[in-house]
Formats: sequence, structure tokens, C-alpha cells
Amino acid sequence: MSVDRRDALKTLGLSAGATFLTPILSRIEAQAAGAPVAAKRFVFVVESNGVRPEQLAPSGVKRNPRPQQALNGPEEFLDVPLRDKDLPVSLEPVKAWKDKVTIVQGLSGRVCGGGHSNNFQALGAFGGGRGNGGESTAILGETVDGALAKHLGGIFPHVGLGISKRLENNVIYNVSASGPNKGLPTMCNPANAYSTLFGIVADGAARQEFAAKNNLLDFLKDDIKKAGVAGAEKEQFGAYLETFETLRDRQSKLNEIKDTLRAKGPVVSDKYKSAVETDRLDAQFDLGAAALVCGLTNVLTLSSAAGVRDFDITFKGLGLTIDKHSIGHGGSFQGKTWSDLYNMIRRYHFELIAGLCRKLEKVPEGNGTMLDNTVIVYLSDGAEGHHSRCWEWPMVVIGDLGGKLKTGRYVDYPGYGRKGHRTTANMYLTLLHLAGAKRDTFGMPDPALKDLDQTGPLAELLA
Amino acid sequence: MPRLPAALATTAALLASLAAAQPPAGEPAELKLASPAESKAEFDRAVSPFLARHCAACHNPKKAEGDLDLTTLDPDMKGSTSGARWAMVVEKLAGGEMPPKGRPEPPAADAAAVARWAHAEAKRAGRPFTRRAAYSNGNAVPHAALFDPKNVPPFDGGPRVRRLSPEIYAAFTGELAKGKSGIGQPFSPEGKSTFKDMGAPKVDEPVTVQLLQNALAIVEAQTNHKVEGDTVKGVGQIPKEFLALFDPKAPPTDAQIEAAVAHQFHTILKRPPTAEEKARFVAFAEKNIADAGQVVGARYALAAVLMLPEAVFRMEVGGGKQDAKGRVRLAPREIAFALSYGLTDKRPDAELLKAAATGELDTDAGVARQARRLLDDPKADKPRVLRFFREYFGYDAATEVFKDNKDFPEHDARVLVEDTDRLVLWVLEKDKDVLRELLTTNTSFVAYKTAADTKKKRAEALAKFEREKAANPEKFKDKKPPQVGRSVYEAYGLKDFPDAQPVELPADQRAGILTQPSWLVANSTSFDNHAIHRGKWVRERLLGNVVPDLPITVDAQLPDAPDKTLRERMNVTKEKFCWQCHQLMNDVGYPFEQYDHLGRFRTAEKVLDPEATAKNKDPKGKPLGPVLRGAPLDSSGLIAHVGDPALEGPVAGAVEFVKKLAASERVEQVFVRHAFRYWLGRNESPGDAASLQAARKAYRDGGGSMKALIAALVSSESFLYRVPTAK
Repeated sequence: MSVDRRDALKTLGLSAGATFLTPILSRIEAQAAGAPVAAKRFVFVVESNGVRPEQLAPSGVKRNPRPQQALNGPEEFLDVPLRDKDLPVSLEPVKAWKDKVTIVQGLSGRVCGGGHSNNFQALGAFGGGRGNGGESTAILGETVDGALAKHLGGIFPHVGLGISKRLENNVIYNVSASGPNKGLPTMCNPANAYSTLFGIVADGAARQEFAAKNNLLDFLKDDIKKAGVAGAEKEQFGAYLETFETLRDRQSKLNEIKDTLRAKGPVVSDKYKSAVETDRLDAQFDLGAAALVCGLTNVLTLSSAAGVRDFDITFKGLGLTIDKHSIGHGGSFQGKTWSDLYNMIRRYHFELIAGLCRKLEKVPEGNGTMLDNTVIVYLSDGAEGHHSRCWEWPMVVIGDLGGKLKTGRYVDYPGYGRKGHRTTANMYLTLLHLAGAKRDTFGMPDPALKDLDQTGPLAELLA
Repeated sequence: MPRLPAALATTAALLASLAAAQPPAGEPAELKLASPAESKAEFDRAVSPFLARHCAACHNPKKAEGDLDLTTLDPDMKGSTSGARWAMVVEKLAGGEMPPKGRPEPPAADAAAVARWAHAEAKRAGRPFTRRAAYSNGNAVPHAALFDPKNVPPFDGGPRVRRLSPEIYAAFTGELAKGKSGIGQPFSPEGKSTFKDMGAPKVDEPVTVQLLQNALAIVEAQTNHKVEGDTVKGVGQIPKEFLALFDPKAPPTDAQIEAAVAHQFHTILKRPPTAEEKARFVAFAEKNIADAGQVVGARYALAAVLMLPEAVFRMEVGGGKQDAKGRVRLAPREIAFALSYGLTDKRPDAELLKAAATGELDTDAGVARQARRLLDDPKADKPRVLRFFREYFGYDAATEVFKDNKDFPEHDARVLVEDTDRLVLWVLEKDKDVLRELLTTNTSFVAYKTAADTKKKRAEALAKFEREKAANPEKFKDKKPPQVGRSVYEAYGLKDFPDAQPVELPADQRAGILTQPSWLVANSTSFDNHAIHRGKWVRERLLGNVVPDLPITVDAQLPDAPDKTLRERMNVTKEKFCWQCHQLMNDVGYPFEQYDHLGRFRTAEKVLDPEATAKNKDPKGKPLGPVLRGAPLDSSGLIAHVGDPALEGPVAGAVEFVKKLAASERVEQVFVRHAFRYWLGRNESPGDAASLQAARKAYRDGGGSMKALIAALVSSESFLYRVPTAK
């Protein structure tokens, strides 16, 4: 089959070895056979230290940070087409997709504890529990990426990739969760993440390892079945057994798409083990894109040092020796103000996002490209500022999922407590709605907004 | 006992679980239901009419308030999954939460009869309610149910299987991997229980993935070899049993595989494989070698031993026949592992395994003797003991609290934690009146590891500063000399590092761990004291009461008002709804307002002075920044709602407060309860009363000896026996 696949690639004018430039052949085959393409993908890019509201306004729109109090903004919903506007400087890298961009301002997330990071609360729209008062790492419920992963499934229902300021951090838990107290891993070491996702094609011994791993999983499955039939063992061993069944099943699925993985898996470079933060983040975007293109996952979370212990990361790869915490406190560097530095670092993230868009756009899918079936959401776990209080939570959404979102706009929701004011939970409900997992509520309602409707998706964004 | 606020609903289960311990006069101590028919009869007699009268108006098929229909809830907890809902019903009834306000209150005896039936039926179903609470809030079991020598209910702790703790796993793999990197920690604490190693978290897929990666990395280190010509040579100390598997001349024989498997069993599980295990592993290894080649095939076969449930889980199931009390004793091997894990994080040493094999662990005295041996052995590393105090007091969380470097240069939480660690060990070395000492001593270590070094660095920095200042007086005229390490000794109220350790701090300023900077910082925010967390700690860990969970509808934030004192800002918690819970925390947290959020003793609280700030401008009118003023300090507190009149009343300041606590019998009992939780890895239930009382007695008789307390706990009935769940 692989010869045919290569031929097929050639007919598309692409080289067989080129990473990312190639579509998923199985999908093309399915398409050729007239099968519907129902892929829906969600990518979350979570950057630490807050997104300043004033920095997301396009040309000609004046937007100040809102006061940290109720009724802090206008009564009207603002809706500005981006068509004739210039994107804010940090978003320029994605201007090629300006008609797919929605800049969303004015959402609040007051149930979250605030502080340097809201950790799981950022994507979970729940409170900090007993640790409230800021920076709680409590996991009171599922996060939106976890919820989408459960709904959409996949070989890896959720892939979390990220960087930590500490090189030794391999797998950390601070952004995503599949349920209360069930954190989903963020793999912070690109080399290890590669072996988890693409290990099956890593080297020549891979085939042997693959066979041995299958045998081992089968053996242990039998063994545990024998050991844990009753009593106190039953519950614990049952869960253990289930993990082997899941892994065995995944092995089979990976085996099925081995050729795709080999053709389109990323090429491991020095960046995968680099001590430079930006190198590792580049590598993770590389891996993440490949995971989407190869069909390994439909839900990807890319964490740029999100979480409470990493917000003082230093982006040395951008030539900075000042850490983000100091920048958050107004620090300047070589003539650049804190505001310039915020923009500069965000711009770098949008260059990575643009790279991801380009890769997805090159893969035909259905009547369009893979990008048409993908939504990318950019936000900060630190909400609206370095010391977040979550009165606002600026976000950038790229993609319309086959025209289901009305894009190419700058929207700004009414002030906190005003009629029509909405929360981050409503944004997440919008994403769930798009994924086909419609529901009325997500996370926790804001008790101070009890007089407002906090349910359902953001109707203003839907086409 | 003073009436507890009705909102303390979670205290609740307590009254219910009391059914066995404190029966109302004239009622049988404990209802026993032998059959479904007996249960049904009691249900029809005592429960059904009660539900019809008091509950069914709302909890009926039509209304089903709270999604609960009590007219159809199955009374057979064995044959259905209704147990959890019945447990909730009992909890709501006992806590006075139901029936709701405005409805007639049911007679207490009738409600008690419902609870009694539900407990008995839950027991019959093999799902006693007390086991449900094994890992949640331990204080929910009321104090009186545990320390009343006249009322000691029978032991009912069930069999347990738990995965290894992260620390045990790290010690285990560290020993095996011989320094090889690439071993990741698969386990993380669940975070819901009082102590980290208490829950029974289930293994999920990422955990298994990591376990497998680790197993393969370990086996690679265990079997590291090279082939020269046609002979295989070990790299490092590789056992010959393993090398034989990789002989390039011929695949291994059955006997060679058996020998290698036996060696791996001995290394990993500390026992030989059974005949059946041997046969299974040989077949598996042979298939693997055929499918994946000799090297990969053999390594995966050896790795499988590391993945066996026995290598991943702690087995405390018990074996043998039930005794007259319905208990089975843990198998000697289980005891050896439990004991060793309980004290050292490591698998049992040779002597302990020998004690298991020779019958020494068949007696409680034998177990206690082995425990004392480990505790008294100065060479045996006992990280579990210090960790208990770290987790109990929680002072090590100081390193998790972010303090701004700009505002507080040189703040070094790690040093503060090291000092308190050292203080705990210093008290443990004497092993006398341990709790009281820890709560009241004014002795302290002050940067005991780093003081000398820091002083040297400071001298160097100062010399450099003076040199540069002399060379460039203009540039340096407004600069202050560096003050390396200042925040550490200032946190203890000192003007410099002491020359000798430990030091005596002023006895009217400091008393014990709760006045150590580490503990105060651990219970602070980035910018402020956290009186609520401090109060909550005292309420739960010393007074042994229950603080209900924060209701999810509450926006728990203090107002941002920098011109007000913390106490003033906390006034928002006096709203009736908030105060139900905050009355338990605020008043026992306020005495620590005596210190600032870096642990420094203070006599005034600094708050923003808005007027002075407004006036603080340069001649051109540019604001020059905030101006602070000292607000009068109020460190008075109140001990109330405890359930112990001897302890209750107002207190003035932290030192008086902790001394009062340290003198309390109840506080000592609550401490013993926590030690029980830590060493048993679960919450105490009324059935553990005998073990708890014996442990407390051992502590007392030993003059407040921690060793005596630990030895008593790990040789207690609760540690050594299990009551099997009814089949």
C-alpha cells in the first residue's frame, strides 16, 4: 500500500518525504469513496501572564482595560468587522487568515480565583475550591479541552504539549482535566512526547518493540484478570486492567496508521532537547501539528508555561534576559517597555499559531482544508493581566469550523453585570456546541451574575 | 456539648456513625440484620412510615426534589446501588438539614431508628457507611465516639489494596535503576485527604504508560551487556541469570529462563515464583523471543515482573481463618511490607522478612518489637516520620507561596522550612512531650544550614560595595549597602544570624511551630496574612472539628481595600450565611495577626494611608507612590464551638493561644487521630476506638514519646487485622 500512497502523494504535487505537506490518505480515500468527512478539531494555546485587553484592539478601536468592579463597561455589544482594520501588532502573523479571526473581548471569569495563574480554572470555568483566594490548583471539574476530548474521541482523545521553565519537568498537570481531580497531562519534554506519539516509527527496532509490547500487554491483561476477581482487589485491579486494554487497543490503531505516521511524523531536531524555551515550544507546535495532521488527536492543548509555578519563565530565545514575571510588574528591557515586551512575546506565539495554520491549510479535507475544520483558541491562564482578577478574559479565536462561526470580527461584550454580559463558560459552551456536544451549562455559574442568563453558547459568534 | 451551628451539615455523618457508639437509652446498641427479610421487616416498621410522613411530600415520583424519589428508593442495598443515596439521606437527617425549615421536625428517636436501620442494612450489604468516609474528612467522626473507654465498638476495618505511594515507588526504582535517569514518577497524590498517602486513587492510563516506560528502563539497566565475538559480557554488575538470556550462540533454554525469572521475582517481589508463575513466564518469554528477537523479547518478559499487580499495589487483605471477633490477621508477608513502608518508604529489610518467615510477626508484641527496632536504628533512614510532621503542620507549603522578589528581596522560604524541619528533628531526638514541645518551644533554628555561608557572602558583597562606592562616590551616594540574608533572620525577629544553633527567641513572642516563619508564610498569600487558612488549620488539626467545604456558589474573595486592616476586610465574612462557617475559622486565626505575612513579629499593621498618598507628590504634581500608616494591632481571638468547655474562651495573642491549646487533653487526642490517619493511611472510624485509645495511652505512658506512639499504631488491631467484606 505504501507505494500507492506515495504515488497518490505525487499526484498531489507533494513529495512523499515532506513532513506535514501531505494529507491523510485514508481521509482522501474515504472522500473519494464518497464518505462524509466529519472531522472537528480544537486547539487551545494557553500562554502565561495574562493578555492585556488594550493590546487586542485592532486599528481605530480604542479599548482600555476595564475597572475591576461591576458595571465596568458599556451596555452595548460591540461588533466591528476586521475587514478594513489592521490587526493589533501581536496578531499580525495571522493576518493571512484575518477573515477567519474573531477577537473576543469583555468575557469575565470571576468564579476563578485569579492571581498569577488560574491553572485548571482557566479552561474549566470553575472556582478554586478550598484553595480559593488565588492560584488554586484545585480541579473541581472537567476543562473544556477535556470535555471536547471525551466527546470527539480519537487514538489519543487529548494531547497536551507544553513547556515549563524547568527543563527537568517531564509531565505536568496544571491546565487540562477530564473531570474533578482528574488532571490531564501536559508533556513538557518534546523528545518524550515524540516517543509517546510517534514512537512506533522511531527506529529500526520499533517493529520488535511493538510486537513485544503487544505480547506484554496481553500477558498482563491475563495476569490481572486472574488476580483481581473479587474482594478488595476487584476495584483497584479492574482499573489497572482497563488501562492495559486501552493501551492494547491504541497499539492496534497506531499500527493501522503506521504508514501515515512514518510519512508525516515530525523530524526530530536539536530543538526537541534544547535548553532554550522557544526551541522547545517550536518543537511542541511542530509535534502538535503533526499529531493533528496524522489524525492522532482532535483536541490539542499547547501550554506556554501556563500554571502557577512557571509564570516567571524567561524567553531567552527571543533575546530577552528579563523574565515574564518582572515584565508583568512593569519591567523594561533594552528600551522596550513592559507593554512592548508583552506584544513581542505574544507576537512570537502568533507566529507559531500561523505556522500551525499553514500546515493545516495545506492538507485538503472535504471540500476545503484541514484548517476549515479546526478552531484555534488563544488565551492566557492569567486572564486579563499579570495579577488577574478575571473581570475580563480576552481571547482570540481562529477558524470557523466549516462556516459555523461568524468570523473576521472584533467583538466586545457588555460590562460585567450588564445585560448581555457573558463569561468564559459561554465561550466554552460555544465550542462544545460546535463540536456537537450541546449543553446549557459548563463549569460553575458566577453567583454575582445570578440575575443574568449564564447558559448556552455565545449566540453572537454563531453563524 | 454546645449546640453546633445547624449548617455544619458535614459533621453529620457523625451522628449517624454514632449509632453504634452512643445508643439512645432503651435502644439496642447495634441493630443486626441477618437476612433481606429481617431488613425489610425493620424497614416497613421504622423507616417506611417515617418517609411517608416527613419526606414523601417532596421526594415523590412527581416532584422528585433533588432528583430523589424516596417512595421508590430500593431498601435492599445489597441487591441494588441505592447505598450511596441512603447514606446521603442519613446524613441530611442527622445534620438537621432535612426536613427543611418550616416543616415539622421529626422526633429524634424516629430519625435515629431510620439511621439505625440504614447502618445495619449497609453493613449487611457489605458496604458500611463508615468505609465510605475512609479518605474524606476524618474529623467527621465525632471525638467522643473514639475516646470514650466505656464505649468501644467492635473493629470493622475492611481489606485494602492501594497502589504504592510516590515516595515508595521512587525509593524502589532508585534502588533498581542504579542512578539511571529517565525514570519518571507515575503517581501523584490525590490531594483530597488530610495526608498525601491516604486515598485509594485508581491507576489510570498515563500512570500505566509511565510504569511501563520505567519498567523497560530499569530492565535495560539490569541487563546491560555487550556482545564481543560470540560471547556476551555484562556492563557493570549484571547477574549471570540475566546474561544467559542474551547469549548470541543460542536462545535460552527453559531452565535458563526459569532461573532469570526467579532472579527477577526475588529482586522485585522478594519472593520466589510459584510453579504456575514459572510456567506462565517461560511460555511468555519464549513467545516474546520468537516474535521480537532475543534481546527485546527477553527484556520485555523481565519488565513484566515490574508490572505485576503485586509490584504496583500494596496488598493488605489478610489471610487465614476469621477469629471469634470476625477478624483475619494480615499475612506475615503483608505485615512486613506494611510495617516497612510505614516507617521507611522501603521494602522490608532481611531481618523483617526473617521475622515474617519465623513467626515473629504472628504476635502483636513481635510486630511492636520490629517497629521499635527500625525506629531505634540510627542508621535506618526514616523519612516517613519527619514527613508526618511536615504534612500535619503543613509548614513546607511555605515554598509554594509566591512572594514578590522586588518587595521582599532575599525572602527564602526554603531556608525557613529547613529550620522548622531541624526543629522537629531536635524535638524528636529528645522524644519527650513531643506535641507540647512542638507547640510551645521558643527554641528555634535560624538558617542553621546556611547562616555561616551567608554571612561570608554578605561580607564579600559589602566589601565589593564599599570598594565600588569609594571608586565612584557620586553614583553610589544614594545606594544602600547589600543586606544579604536579612529577611531570614528578620523573620525570626533577630538583628543578625546567630553564632550558635539553636537559639532561644523571646518567649513572649514565639511559641512553637505555629509561630515559626515557615508555618506563617505557608498560610499567607503573596501580599498578606491568611487568617482564614490559619484558623482553619487550628480548627481541623488541633481542635478536631469539621469546617464545611466552601459552598460552590460563594465568591470567596476579600475586598481589595489596601487602606483597611485584614480584620476589617474580613468583616464581609460576618454576613449570616458566611459566618456559619467563618465563626469556626476567623477567631482561631486572628491571634496570628501578631505576625506579618513573612512571619515577622509586629506591633502594628501597615495599611495604605489614602490621604497621605494623595499628598505624596513631587513639586510638579507627579505622584510619588503609596504611603503606609501603622494601624493598631488586634491579635485577640476566641476559642469556641469546640465541644470542650475546658478549652473555650477568649485569648489574647498567639503565645497565650498556642500554650492553651498545648495544655489540652483534646488537642493531644486530635493529634493522635492525625497520627493514626497518617500511619494507617485512612481515616479513623468508631471501630478504631480501641486502637486509638491504646495509642494515646502508649504516648502518655512513654512521656509524650513519638516512638511509643508510632510503635503502638503499627502494632494495633487496626493496623494488623481486617474484617472481610461480606460476600
